[in-house]
Amino acid sequence: MSAAQQSTPTSGHLEVSGLCKAFGGVQAVNGFSFDAKPGEIVGIIGPNGAGKTTAFNLVTGVYTPDSGSVVLDGVSLGGQRQDQIARQGVGRTFQNIRLFKGLNVLENVMTASDPYADYNFFSAVLALPAKRASDRQAAEKAREYLDLVGLCGLEDDRPESLPYGLQRKLELARALALRPKVILLDEPAAGLNPSEVREFIDLVKRLHERFNFTIVFIEHRMEVVMNLSHKLFVMSFGKLLASGAPEAVRRNPEVIEAYIGEEE
Amino acid sequence: MDYIYSILTLTGITMIGVMGTYMVTGLTGQFSFGQAAFMAVGGYVSAMLALRFNLPFAAAALAGSAAAMLAGLLVGVPTVRLRRDYISLVTFGFGEAIISVLNNSAQLTGGAEGLVNIPKRVDLPLVLLSVIGCLLLVACYKNSKYGRQCLALRSDELAARSMGIDVNRLKLVTFLFASAITGYAGVLYAFYAQYLEPGYFNWTVSAEWLIIVFVGGINSLTGAMVSALILSSLPELLRFASAWRIIIYCVIVLIIINYRPNGIFGDWEISRLWKKSAKGEKA
Amino acid sequence: MLQNIFFGLSLGAVYSLIAVGFALVFNILKFSNFSHGGVMSFTAYAGYYAYIRLFDGRVSSSWMFFAVVTTAAVIGALTAVAIERVGFRRLRRNQAPVIYYFISSITLGILLENIITIFASSNFYSYPVFFSSDNLSLLGTTFSVADVVTLLVSSASLAGLLLVLYRSKLGLAVRTVSFDVNTASLMGIDADRVVMATFAMSGALGGISGVFLGMNYSLYPQLGQLVVKGFIASVIGGLGSITGAVIGALLLGIVEVALIGVVGSGWMPACVFVIMLVFLLVRPRGISGVIVQEKA
Repeated sequence: MSAAQQSTPTSGHLEVSGLCKAFGGVQAVNGFSFDAKPGEIVGIIGPNGAGKTTAFNLVTGVYTPDSGSVVLDGVSLGGQRQDQIARQGVGRTFQNIRLFKGLNVLENVMTASDPYADYNFFSAVLALPAKRASDRQAAEKAREYLDLVGLCGLEDDRPESLPYGLQRKLELARALALRPKVILLDEPAAGLNPSEVREFIDLVKRLHERFNFTIVFIEHRMEVVMNLSHKLFVMSFGKLLASGAPEAVRRNPEVIEAYIGEEE
Repeated sequence: MDYIYSILTLTGITMIGVMGTYMVTGLTGQFSFGQAAFMAVGGYVSAMLALRFNLPFAAAALAGSAAAMLAGLLVGVPTVRLRRDYISLVTFGFGEAIISVLNNSAQLTGGAEGLVNIPKRVDLPLVLLSVIGCLLLVACYKNSKYGRQCLALRSDELAARSMGIDVNRLKLVTFLFASAITGYAGVLYAFYAQYLEPGYFNWTVSAEWLIIVFVGGINSLTGAMVSALILSSLPELLRFASAWRIIIYCVIVLIIINYRPNGIFGDWEISRLWKKSAKGEKA
Repeated sequence: MLQNIFFGLSLGAVYSLIAVGFALVFNILKFSNFSHGGVMSFTAYAGYYAYIRLFDGRVSSSWMFFAVVTTAAVIGALTAVAIERVGFRRLRRNQAPVIYYFISSITLGILLENIITIFASSNFYSYPVFFSSDNLSLLGTTFSVADVVTLLVSSASLAGLLLVLYRSKLGLAVRTVSFDVNTASLMGIDADRVVMATFAMSGALGGISGVFLGMNYSLYPQLGQLVVKGFIASVIGGLGSITGAVIGALLLGIVEVALIGVVGSGWMPACVFVIMLVFLLVRPRGISGVIVQEKA
């Protein structure tokens, strides 16, 4: 089984510093910084409304930061379009699952590799051999990714018809097909039951071992956070509240206070 | 018999126009009220070149389609960046602008009285061939990275961008392809009917095409074609007056929207028939 | 010059009725309601018909005008409510994506237009002349009575609407629903009734504007296509905003009159289109609109 291009552990260094973003009168992100070294798994936690998803959106180019910088492997991502940033190797999943409803499971995954497909318009409309070969390869690759996350055999299904847990896996497979250096996961375990959560943790570990990309994730489930992260960043009211190794952060009194009233 | 031929020919031409609409609306989710204007451009340019410079049909046809594609570029570049509601308005405005230009350039185009004496170069066989040819091109487009990415961006533009899809470029490319094909439909019409009038290409024609695509199933090329076939030929065969035909279209659409919003064909494509058997062999 | 501005204002006033009727529905259901045009022409014809029936072609006078306008407003309201029932109610139940509302509205607009064509033929009818061709003299320029009345009645209708929107319980409900239908229902607001009421208001405005359009442009089935003016006005003013719609419409009226003077009525539509296109590219939010950015 041919593997996807392995990211060497020297790439995938995401440095985010001083991100600021205001919407109308609301300062959603107020000087937030975090750092993910190549191959690290970094967790971003914090109470609801802290601005975590907004931070992700700033990194991926959905919003333009008012100030601050986002640098991937020494290259600044600021001012680039979303799709440009994605092609630089930043993959993501969404808090509210955003799968492509008009396509089946296999095609959903293929869309992430389509921007890299190297045939042109004429090959496409005339269905020339180059196009057919390229699409065949892309489909094979996509099947591999589906297999990796455990969605084998469901290729022709509609994404909407999959159970919730499998939809999350599909989103993951799709992000993988982008051949990312960094993957941003936004509450990937939300809505999963306890056994699904454990399965998910194992899956992420396996994928991380295999592909060695950098992972940054937002999560509320402490099980996931404690089990996966090498490093944690705590966000509150748009600012960085604390950072460090998971155990230390967990015992930090300020962090505990920020979380009082929050569910696990 | 002649009558049936003529209906089939006109239906075939409509089908090609609908293909363009399918691509713009079904693939990229843009609602264009000016598609018919591209047909006008294709028809008028090719006809005028043939009449004035005695250009042979093939060259004129090429020129007409190219002109339509250029018009598509003109409209497309600003349009693809706009929100959905605005796209309809802009394409509508563009369509009407083209009509009024054609109306006001009597010297070149015959104005509101129309362009006459276009030589007859198109007949049923050519139209049939064209329909099949264009259909193959469009179907291949849909089945390629272009089609997939279009459907992705139609479903969720934000997520599509996050997957590295250059949304604006794709919308534009599709738009250009569609306008070229629609322009070609115009060429066929011009050299078949031998008469062109600006009023034939106004926004209601574009709206009819939208309705046809919608009824067939916005997600299905097959549906769009079948729908075009039926909705185009049937009223002619049954000799419905124009206003009643449209009323019936509208009622059909309303029923479908309310009870079967995915259109009659949903997202079923005829290619599923042979894909299924291929799968059976592979496994 | 002053006369032109005044004329533009009165034209803009009519456009603002259209634009606001348009904006009301946009606020509530978040789509551009193209059936509004159909309502306009339908009520214009209905008003005409009412006039023929009620007054038997007697010599017209100003109170008949008010009777016709009122009738049109009522018919407009009823038509719009019927349209909501037929075209959009189920879509709301099924939580259908916006595209469907859009198509439904266009279809209904076309449907109405063709129903009119069938029952009234494509001929042009001229609306009865309600006012003497007297002119008022003010500030050294002359204003026609018709224009003055148009301006006054439009302003009054708009004022009435704003009163309802901002001073009444119903208006509060409407504004709430326009924020979020689901939350509003959770708060005990009957979304169905509010939507119906909004359509009724939109239709009433459409009816009144239909009468004015009939008066200004004479009566023909495609009259409804003037709803595009309302759309353009809304776009300029900002798609989500009622005040924006009014401002945009007044501006549009003045600009149109000015352009006619400069390039003639043949090229005016093309110029307006270009202006609007530029606007869309430079400031898509419009003058006072809010475009909600998609959250990821």
